[in-house]
Amino acid sequence: MKNKGFQITIAFICLILGLMLTVQFKSIKKINSGGIDKMRASELQSALSSANEKLDDAKRELASKERKIEQYQEAASKGGKLGQIIQKDINQAKMLAGLTAAQGAGIVITLNDSKVRNEQGDMNENYFVIHDSDILLVINELRASGAEAISLNDQRVIATSEIRCAGPVLSINNTRTSAPFRIKAIGNAIDMENALKMRDGVVDALQQWGIEITISKQDNMVVPGFDGALTFKYAVPFKEGGNE
Amino acid sequence: MYLSLIGLVLGVVMGIFLPYSIPIAYSKYMAVAILACLDSVFGGYAASLQGKFDMKIFISGFFGNALLAAGLAFIGDKLGADIYMAAVFAFGNRMFINFAIIRRYLLNK
Repeated sequence: MKNKGFQITIAFICLILGLMLTVQFKSIKKINSGGIDKMRASELQSALSSANEKLDDAKRELASKERKIEQYQEAASKGGKLGQIIQKDINQAKMLAGLTAAQGAGIVITLNDSKVRNEQGDMNENYFVIHDSDILLVINELRASGAEAISLNDQRVIATSEIRCAGPVLSINNTRTSAPFRIKAIGNAIDMENALKMRDGVVDALQQWGIEITISKQDNMVVPGFDGALTFKYAVPFKEGGNE
Repeated sequence: MYLSLIGLVLGVVMGIFLPYSIPIAYSKYMAVAILACLDSVFGGYAASLQGKFDMKIFISGFFGNALLAAGLAFIGDKLGADIYMAAVFAFGNRMFINFAIIRRYLLNK
């Protein structure tokens, strides 16, 4: 440590060393706190694909809404076509409500009471017959897997449909029906069948009690429409900004 | 001595405020380069205590060792062998030896 130039060189070297050290510390800290690299690639893959799916759905919906707006505008300019479009919308609404029969591909599920003899007599007889909750489980599973129209023994399941035990029979849409129960569902047959046959799923649970379940895929079938009367005594459409 | 400490602090401060960071893929090379630099500094200090410090050797060692260590790590990655271990071992070993020399000089002063 004799002259000034010497010391400045040493200081410069130390500066470089300190710089390298801190930059490296910063980089390593960033890598460790990233979090993303710790997630498994498969998780990221599934997150990405589901996000993409949602995006696609949203885009499709946007496109259909835009088309509708165009149609309305066109109709407004022409006048004559308006009736047609309103008719189409009414049909769509009826379809949604289940007032019209629907046809398409789907599955038919047949449920029958257990034929297993309850020989020991130590089990409750009730376990071996189909209950309203069993049917509801099946229908719920069908809806979860994308069923678009469901009927039970030719009664369309709509928003107000009840499914409940009424003595030894089952009541749906205020009509009585009994086993065997045929549930028709229009939708993606493979998805619905897979959902029902999931391990520890609905089919597994019911088969434990010997309840007979058969599922058959149909390429084209008809689900009947709701044929009762739909009236609203209490509910009225809510108008935005109207009187409460 | 003070000037070198000031330089070190200045370097640390600069590193904190510079927006750059090393990409993940290259952080390993940087790590061995830092090890080589640390070794040079230890070696330089030991040599200066022994009175046989040579600026040319110090500077060339500082940069040359860093480049060689990073280069070894890079080649090792390409070959699929952990050659950077050689640098880690060599410089780590030498750092302890230099530290031992520094200790002896400072304690026997």
